[in-house]
Amino acid sequence: MPGVIVCPACDLAHRRGAPPLRGRNECVRCRAPLQRPEGKPVEIAIALGVCALVLLIIANAYPLVVMHVNGATRDTTLVGAALGLYDQDYRTLAALVFLTTVLAPLSQIVALLYLLIPLRRGRRARGQSAVFRLLLAVRRWSFMEVFMLGALVALVRLSGYANVVPGIALWSCALLMICLSALTSVTSPEQFWAWVEQKRG
Amino acid sequence: MSSAATGRSLGLTVCLECRATVRQVHALAHPRCPRCLARLHERKPHSLGITTVLIVSAAVLYVPANLLPVMNTRTFFDDEQDTIMSGVLELLHSGSWPIALLVFIASIVVPLLKILALAVLLYSAWRREPRLRLERTELYRLVEFIGRWSMLDIYAISLLATLVQVQGFANIIVGWGAWAFGAVVVLTMIATRTFDERLLWDGPARG
Repeated sequence: MPGVIVCPACDLAHRRGAPPLRGRNECVRCRAPLQRPEGKPVEIAIALGVCALVLLIIANAYPLVVMHVNGATRDTTLVGAALGLYDQDYRTLAALVFLTTVLAPLSQIVALLYLLIPLRRGRRARGQSAVFRLLLAVRRWSFMEVFMLGALVALVRLSGYANVVPGIALWSCALLMICLSALTSVTSPEQFWAWVEQKRG
Repeated sequence: MSSAATGRSLGLTVCLECRATVRQVHALAHPRCPRCLARLHERKPHSLGITTVLIVSAAVLYVPANLLPVMNTRTFFDDEQDTIMSGVLELLHSGSWPIALLVFIASIVVPLLKILALAVLLYSAWRREPRLRLERTELYRLVEFIGRWSMLDIYAISLLATLVQVQGFANIIVGWGAWAFGAVVVLTMIATRTFDERLLWDGPARG
């Protein structure tokens, strides 16, 4: 029933108007966002996705933090943080860190590109609905911004004992964090399905 | 607002994944969203029961998460055990109080706030509390928003334990407190998802 929007947060029914040009339309009862702008071109999302993919590769290929102490040098990468936990036999914790800092951001980006690149050419990706739902699920477990602050806390705690230098990967993590949040905001579920319907019609 | 038309009263259900509006869901045995094929429910199934179990488990694990050491620092001179709180105090003594405050809020206040807030929300949803609904919905949104930030200390610990492995100088070993803490974060995040916020609005409104 396209004429009605039901608020997902309080179940109040609203008459469906045009999506806003900027900002958002809110539920009159509980103020949950009901509609966001839907006019963004799909190319912006693809560009952001490619950018995020490059940043994610850099973030994993270069050291995150380098530590000099007593003439010895140690460094770690993004995956290294999860592997360090694995080496100490905290496998579930290692899996959680791996999921939230590597696997979820990666699958979030790959799933989006998989959906949007065919869509731009007016085709639909195989298994579109399933991949879309997978995308929403992994997005909830993608914690890049929290990881950034955690790395900052680790740097501060170490700085009293050793000479620590932030690596290239830390800077690309910071950019990745910005890129991912922009990507999430331009690919709201409503926007995604608006693109699907546009390309079909 | 007592006569407000709701999705339920009109026989309409919103798909929580893609936001499509679907008609007469309860007439079908296994309803799925026609657009994104997600399972549809008028309300999340067994929301209050499942959320209660998750919150109780999180509350139980919150105790070892705060009492057990999250990391062990072994150097030439001594063997130091750090809980989350002693880590915060150490940061405070080293003079970086903004970071100490950040860790204190993310690791101690946020998990406790999440557990207490969800307990309050569960109780009011169960009682179908007619007042202060907007405030409760906003509390739920706050819990949803801050949830992930508790992972902060887990990341800091994992980086410290990976970096500080200097043979004969210092080693950092992760403690079981970190495991319990990670479990609290995951359980409360899932509990936030299983709670159906529409239950806060389902009873008759008053005042």
